[in-house]
Amino acid sequence: MKRIAMLILVGALAGAACSKKSEPEAEKKAPVLTDAQTAAVNKADLEELFKETYLERGTMPKGINWLTNDSDPVFASPKAKKGGTYYYWMDSFPLTLRTVGPDSNGSFRSNLFHNQMDLLHMHPETGNLLPGLATHWGTNKEQNTLYLKLNPNARWSDGVPLTAYDVAFTLKFYLSKHIVAPWYNTQYGEEYDMITVYDDHTLAIRSKNKRNIKDLVYYATFEIRPRHFHILDKDWVKRTNWQIEPNTGAYLISKIEKGKFIEFKRKKDWWAKDLKYFKNRFNMDKVKISVIRDANVRLEHFLKGNLDGYPLVIPEYWHSKVTGKNVDNGYIQKVWFYNDRPQPIYAIYMSQSIDLFKNKDVRIGFAHSLNVDKVLKTVLRGDYDRMETNTMGHGVMDNKKIKARRFDLAKADEHFKKAGWEKRGPDGIRVKDGKRLSARVTYGYDAHTDRLVVLKEEAKKAGVELTLQKLDGAASFKSMLENQHEIAYTGWGAQDRMQYWGQYHSDNAHKPQKNNFGNVADKVLDPWLIAYKDEFDETKKAALAHKIQQRIHDEAYTVTLWAAPYIRFGHWRWMKFPDPVASKGSKDTTIYPFDGDWGGVFWIDEEVKKETKAAMKAGKKFPPVLIKDTRHKKG
Amino acid sequence: MTLQLDPLTRKKLNRFKSIKRGYYSAVILVTVIFLSFFAEFFVNSRALIVRYQGHLYFPTYGSVIVGKTFGRDYAYETNYRELQKEFRQEGEGNWVLMPISPYNAYENDLTEGIYPPTAPDRQSGHYVGTDSTGRDVFARLVYGFRTAIIFSILLLICNYTIGVTIGCAMGYFGGLFDLLFQRIIEIWANVPFLYIIIIVSSIMVPNFFTLMMIMLFFGWIQMTWYMRTATYKQRGREYVLAARAMGASDAYIILQHIIPNTISIIVTFMPFSISSGVVVLTSLDYLGFGLPAPTPSWGELLRQGTSNLSSSWIVSSVVVSMILLLTMVTFVGEAIREAFDPKKHTVYE
Repeated sequence: MKRIAMLILVGALAGAACSKKSEPEAEKKAPVLTDAQTAAVNKADLEELFKETYLERGTMPKGINWLTNDSDPVFASPKAKKGGTYYYWMDSFPLTLRTVGPDSNGSFRSNLFHNQMDLLHMHPETGNLLPGLATHWGTNKEQNTLYLKLNPNARWSDGVPLTAYDVAFTLKFYLSKHIVAPWYNTQYGEEYDMITVYDDHTLAIRSKNKRNIKDLVYYATFEIRPRHFHILDKDWVKRTNWQIEPNTGAYLISKIEKGKFIEFKRKKDWWAKDLKYFKNRFNMDKVKISVIRDANVRLEHFLKGNLDGYPLVIPEYWHSKVTGKNVDNGYIQKVWFYNDRPQPIYAIYMSQSIDLFKNKDVRIGFAHSLNVDKVLKTVLRGDYDRMETNTMGHGVMDNKKIKARRFDLAKADEHFKKAGWEKRGPDGIRVKDGKRLSARVTYGYDAHTDRLVVLKEEAKKAGVELTLQKLDGAASFKSMLENQHEIAYTGWGAQDRMQYWGQYHSDNAHKPQKNNFGNVADKVLDPWLIAYKDEFDETKKAALAHKIQQRIHDEAYTVTLWAAPYIRFGHWRWMKFPDPVASKGSKDTTIYPFDGDWGGVFWIDEEVKKETKAAMKAGKKFPPVLIKDTRHKKG
Repeated sequence: MTLQLDPLTRKKLNRFKSIKRGYYSAVILVTVIFLSFFAEFFVNSRALIVRYQGHLYFPTYGSVIVGKTFGRDYAYETNYRELQKEFRQEGEGNWVLMPISPYNAYENDLTEGIYPPTAPDRQSGHYVGTDSTGRDVFARLVYGFRTAIIFSILLLICNYTIGVTIGCAMGYFGGLFDLLFQRIIEIWANVPFLYIIIIVSSIMVPNFFTLMMIMLFFGWIQMTWYMRTATYKQRGREYVLAARAMGASDAYIILQHIIPNTISIIVTFMPFSISSGVVVLTSLDYLGFGLPAPTPSWGELLRQGTSNLSSSWIVSSVVVSMILLLTMVTFVGEAIREAFDPKKHTVYE
């Protein structure tokens, strides 16, 4: 037994030791090419490329209504200064620098993705399309083709101009078996019909589906890959593991110490630096991302000034951990900015694969037995909002009339009685025919145990027993996919376009590997879900969405829980932001500094940094700063 | 083994008593363990006695008594702390007698505007404060202790039963049986225990018994080696030969002669096995692979404590308890080893 205890200790130490091991990485960079060379690069092997059945060359159709946008307001600050280094963190070192293929789906990937500019971006305030790699866009009458004019100045980081052939190649890339990414293979195979290249900078992307233009841009565009860099063969995965792929964004990796940090350097002559919506953004000369595994250690690093900014959405961080001298003296400033963008859905799904939840009254009774308000007011300190229905932040798509059922013992009692669960056993839990009113809640977030224990204790008052089954993240999701749960407590990542079919259609009920965790099979709902999926008129789609949400609420298929519709972070005073700090559609730019749509709007002021450090030594104080911006707050 | 103590055992006991720190530690430990079995009388949200309209109620054990029984307007379990206050205000001669620490290990004592963890406070009855969801730390310590100690004792009994049986058999019968089991055990001992636990607990939530089964799976090995050696040694002694010459059966020899003569080994290891049982359970809970939430456990408290270092009462309470427990167990272990040291009692040829 002692040996066992030792084993545990040794295991923990070994884990720590591994993380310290490091070896400087020899980086592989492509040499800078001359103009003649680049022209040759672009024209090489084109015949080979157009052998693919989904790629073709063509002549430009007439009468395309070209659109562009330079009338929306800018959201970066003209006061921004270039220079400085932004220090931030990752929780583990990436297993590869590839962004597709095995092991690429880690949290670090967004840093690489965001430094590949999109064909078109979206304005974070107005939601309109903005030029990216493409300057002009248009669509056809059939609503299935997106025409694009690329910016002739667009360059890869190695100086090679970006052309329409790169876009065409990208589809070949994603459909290739050599990238070992079956999701991309099927997803893009089902979406893309044809890419037609008209000339070096003009092309059309035809989708297999009819969509409105925003959906077309959302579904039928991708991260463009440099054609001159990739050789698609069976060694691709292995070869590109630690290669730095040329990109079109503002930064490129400049230094790697494996297991320790990755450093990005700003391109001094970035091709997009003077474009209207990219000017005054991406200001720091360097961004150093260090591995700090433990959340508490990260917070300590932030409090010491080793990290410039830190997300403070967790109420405990905001209210108790990041307080005191540094904040009172104005060295650390705090920002609480309500945004208005799609929110993740935290909800419980009562599986109708088990008999108990086939009864509507039982489901309604359960909804009234969950004291979500108490969790919001106590554990979450009043910082989170109740999620009233199963969408939030989708604008007109949200049915704002729906109010989620509140904790109400009388109503719970009424519905349980209707369902025959009137009697209570000796332990206060309802009984019927020798069975107890008890259900197992499967979940995978350690940090949410605090919330669930409160729900569990309160549910006892209604005569409901919840047993908690905490599994590790991946295992809990797997058990839900395999339909082994009774109640699934889960959060769905925010979807830019709300989908209902996967989670509510009877085709996906009572089957493994489907997202219909409630195992809802509703003959009334089914046709609406199909209609919603195929509708591309925004108004009709919204009306359908409202109907669907109402039905889900009336039938109590899910109980939606909480949402934090805001960005909240702390930053040292040398980290400067525009006014307003963020936009309606922004996420937290301190964690996603490179995002093309809304990221990189802050800057590091080296002089203020010196001033602050000196002031801290001298004990000099600044006025404390706390920005609470509620202009986009709902309700 | 007979109930009547033979002079040698009495001598050992006296020697144990004479080692003061070990003896007193043992007395304290046994008392605490015994009391923990009735923890509901000391640490509980249910009242000990309620007197309402001339009737006496004893809610500690048994069914839930709903608020309506005492004239309240709710149909779930009575909140006795509130009831006590209300009875005092009403002044109708009804009264409630609460346990010393009036909280159970599961309830969240949450008030809007006051956010857990809250510091120790005599008035609210949270003598060691609350944890990050407002549960009473003292209650969780006490019930966590009870779980850990019961777990360790049960594990010890199972481990030793299997370990001693197989070990004795190996030493006594020897030959092919011994050889075979030696190899099996060597292979078994190389299975990485921690990984098995991690794998098992990520695909299912281990409960008290599955966790014990997993530990039992690997825990019995250690004892076999000691028992095998000891039995091997005893088997060669004259008294065993004599017994065999008189026609005693193998079972009789093992039970009547060999085990009583190797008991000192078993007894000496016991306290250390108990302490390591507690340590292993705590470590697993700390790592999140132990008993499911919201079971009170020391490991879980320790984890909360280390992530809320500014709320020092959480981490210090569990660390102090752990140190006290392990120190006392070690004292007892030392004293037993001293007392049972064969060199003090026997003269070998």
